[in-house]
This record gives sequence, structure tokens and C-alpha cells, in this order.
Amino acid sequence: MKPPKMNSWPILAASIAAALAVPIVAHDGYIIQLLNIAILNAIVVLGLNFVTGWAGQINFGQAAFYGLGAYTTAIATKAGLPWITTPFLSVIVVMAASLMLGLPTMRLRTYYLAMTTIGFGEIIRLIIVHWEPVTGGTSGLRAIPGISIFGFGPQGQIQHYYLLIAVLLLAILIAARVRHSVLGRAMIATRDSEIAAEQSGVDTVRTKLLAFMIGAVYAGLAGCLYASSIRFISPDSFSGTQAILLMTMLIVGGMGSIAGCIIGAVALTILPEALRFLGQWYLVLYGLGVIAVIVLAPGGLASLASLSQARRASVH
Amino acid sequence: MNPEPIITARGVTRRFGGLVALDGIDLDVPRGVVQAIIGPNGSGKTTLLNALSGASHADTGSIRVGGHEIFRLKPYRIARLGLARTFQNIRIFENLSVIENVKVAAACNSPTSLFNILTANARHRHSEADIDRNAREALEIVGLAHRANDRATQLPYAQQRLLEIARALASKPNVLLLDEPAAGMNMTESMTLLDTIARLKNSGITILLVEHNVRLVMGISDRVTVLDFGKKIAEGAPSDVQRNPLVIEAYLGRRHRHA
Repeated sequence: MKPPKMNSWPILAASIAAALAVPIVAHDGYIIQLLNIAILNAIVVLGLNFVTGWAGQINFGQAAFYGLGAYTTAIATKAGLPWITTPFLSVIVVMAASLMLGLPTMRLRTYYLAMTTIGFGEIIRLIIVHWEPVTGGTSGLRAIPGISIFGFGPQGQIQHYYLLIAVLLLAILIAARVRHSVLGRAMIATRDSEIAAEQSGVDTVRTKLLAFMIGAVYAGLAGCLYASSIRFISPDSFSGTQAILLMTMLIVGGMGSIAGCIIGAVALTILPEALRFLGQWYLVLYGLGVIAVIVLAPGGLASLASLSQARRASVH
Repeated sequence: MNPEPIITARGVTRRFGGLVALDGIDLDVPRGVVQAIIGPNGSGKTTLLNALSGASHADTGSIRVGGHEIFRLKPYRIARLGLARTFQNIRIFENLSVIENVKVAAACNSPTSLFNILTANARHRHSEADIDRNAREALEIVGLAHRANDRATQLPYAQQRLLEIARALASKPNVLLLDEPAAGMNMTESMTLLDTIARLKNSGITILLVEHNVRLVMGISDRVTVLDFGKKIAEGAPSDVQRNPLVIEAYLGRRHRHA
């Protein structure tokens, strides 16, 4: 949440270069697929950061918005609509849903939104599970048509990977732009002191609602890309457990930090797979790891970098 | 002095359960003055300030600021009508830098749309430049310009109070409410604060301040309002108020007995 410094640019450039080089090293389709999911999760967590990291409202509905985008896209393309319509349809659906949820709850205190969004997530899950003819029920939807813009679209996982990296960069750019604007400052002010923000002329209800809706749009678009790049969706990917996992990614990565969102999402998407050789024990290690980060670095993994910088500065 | 007061409150009443914190308060604040609200602990000073700023609404009454009825208006609307305030218990934005704290309020009258932000168009850049300039000016006034890029929490306590004043000033208010601005300040800091208040008055801002330190108040105030048990018991020039037997009994007298 610190102002941007010039020295963050080399790190950003190096990260982008590394991300672009990954497919050269890792030919394994499984790894690329995993990274694709990690990138999609990163976009969803960046969305969650607006409302939770910056505006300070606890939102457990992010997985449901992710699912809404994915199912809207899958159902629309399977019904024969051209792919190009699906990002728009997904955005319309999640905006309508987030507006309906946000309008009545944003006037209330934080925990009301938490409870409302838990309920909302459960409703969405139940609809997906029980509306079988349309959603495929618990077995999900398969063979979802891929991304295609007037006949052009990415082929194979590596091309999808590059496309998703580009979308992630755009998502980062927008988040950074919002952060250093009137709106971003108003969000953080609202989180830090709602009354002081109001007395400074900030319409806190509108600010929270906007943060919630921008976050929902991020999740909805990520869901759209999930459905049409992974090509298979099921209710498990968008459950309440997923909502908590997204929140964990945000906390472990670093609330309010754009870099933290990406670090948290990538780390917690890859870690369970990397620890798979441990069998049942992986959950224990995973849990301990999360606790260790929260205890040792309450600012999240992203804060470790600045901590070590500060330590180096104090030595010299 | 302009004959029409900038704040006109009539019959402002606020109850907390059985306690009447404000009991039909009438208050007039003439334009361009420094007016102090004093009174013993629990006399309703902060409650009155909260009612005026909309932080905690009065139950009944009428409050006009610059000709607008603000009773029960949301605080951000009152802020946009030109009434800014600081808090007795400091409420800075801890996760923002010093200048960003001030920019939050500097944006008070620069409406912007998400579209402008996302496209970073000329209008957006223009308004951000305005906000930046206003914020830096406000920091300059309170003498915090050199700390602009620090985390707000890195400031010492007294400077955090000044930051709140800078934040309030950045919204370009007509009226500034200061809730115990000198609390926690040492003598030097208090003197600098008085100097700042005098400069603000000269720039045309009306100042209404709640202060515990009566001696501090008497020197800079044009008018003093005295509250006791939620009622206004005296109002006028500092010298008159000091001689008012009701005030001596309710406030000064009580202090002397304690001393």
C-alpha cells in the first residue's frame, strides 16, 4: 500500500520476463495448466483486494462471482452464442448480482457483508448443483467451447498461458491505477476510519459498493476465461471452500498489496500440488505454512521483501 | 463581522438513553470568528460537534451551515458543504502516506468517474494535479510538507494532530471544527498551534473549537460558548464569560475547588 517507488520497476520487469520464459523451461502440459489456474486465481484475488484489502469489507462471495462468470460463459457458448459475447454477459451477470447484494449490505457494518456473501455463495452453489439440465449438476459441464474472437483464438495451453499473462498484466495495471486515484485512496480511508473518511467528503457507501462491484467484475471475467480455457467446470471450483481459499491467498500474500495478491494466489495454487507426494500429510504442512506466514509476517509474503530491505538499510 | 452567522443551530437535542447530552442548544457562530465551546467533562461539547458535523446526529433541532439545513444529512454531504473537522481521538488513515491522507479530503470537491480513472484521461490528470496541489498547500500551512511521503503512522503524536488539521483544510472548508486540537501537545507545540489557528482565521475560515485548556482558549477566541450538563449557560466575549457568575460556579468555580 506504499506509494510506488522507481525501484519497483526492475522487479516488475524481471517478473514479467520470468513469467514469459516459463513455457520455455516447463514443457509439461500439467504444469502449464496449473499455472493457468494460478493466474486466473491471481486475477480473482486482485479483485478481492479492492473490497477486502483496500475497502476493508469481508467478502466470502468472490468464489460465487467467479462461478457465475464461468457458468454464464459455459452455458452461453454451449447454447451457441459466439464467444465474444461471453465477457460482456459475465460482467452483466456479476454486476447485477453484486449490486443486489451490495446495495442493502454496504450501509451496514463489515460482518453483515461477510454473512450475506456466505449465504449468497451457498445459494449459487445450490443452484448450480440442482439446476442439472442447465448446469450439469455436480458432474459439471464439459467440452466448453474455447476462446474465439471472430475465428481467432489461442491453441494449446502455452498460448492460453500467454493470453492469461496478458490479462493478468491488464488487471494489475487497472488495480494500480485505481489505487493511486481518488477512488483507491477513498477505499483505504474507508477501511482505516469510516467516520474520518466521511468527514473528509468521502461517500463511504458508494466507495464500498464500487470496490465490491469492481472485485466482482474481476472474478466474473476470470470465471469467463476459466470456463473457456480450462474447458471444464464443476461446482467444486467455486464452493465456499474456494471462497475461504481465495481469502487465505489474499492474507498470506499480503492484504492491500498488488504484488501480494499474485504471490499469494500463485503460491497457494501450486503448493498443494507440489506437496502432493506427502499424501495426507500435505494438509498438515500446508496449514502450518499458512499459520507461520500469518504469525511471522502479518503483512503477508509481500511484506517480507520490504522487511528485509529495511533490515539491510539499518545495517548500513 | 457579517451579520448572518455561518452556523445557526436551534433547539439541538441529543439523548443517550435516559441521559440528555444536549438539551435544546441554540448556537450562532458569526462568519470569520474563532469561537470556543468550553465546559466541564461530560457537558456535551463533543456531542455538539458530532451533531454539527453529522458524525452522530441530533434527535431534534435545526442546524444550518452557510444557509443549508444539514440536520440528518450524511457527514460526507456536510463536508462537501464546507464544514470540516478534526477528532479528539486522532483518526488518521494509517495505511496511507501523509500526503495521501490529505489528498482524501482534497478530492472532496473533485468528482471523478471510474471511466476517467481507468483511461487516465486529461480530466483525470487535471483533477489529480489539482488534488496534489491543494494537498501540498494544506501540508505547507501546518508545516508538514517535509513529511509528505512518510507513512502517516510514522509521525509523532502532535504532528498527527497537525495532519488532521491539514486534512480538514484540504477540503477548502468555510467552517473548521477542532475537537481539542492541543490535547497531548507540549507548550511549544500548543503555541505553534495557536499561531496556525490565528493564520487560518485571517485567511477567512470560521473556527469552532472545543478545548479543555481554558487559558489557551481565552487568548485566541472572539467568542466563547459555555455548556454545562447539555445546556448553554453562557455565551459572549471571553472577558464577559469569565466574569459570568454561572460560569464561575459551573466550570471555573468547580475547577478552583478541585485545585
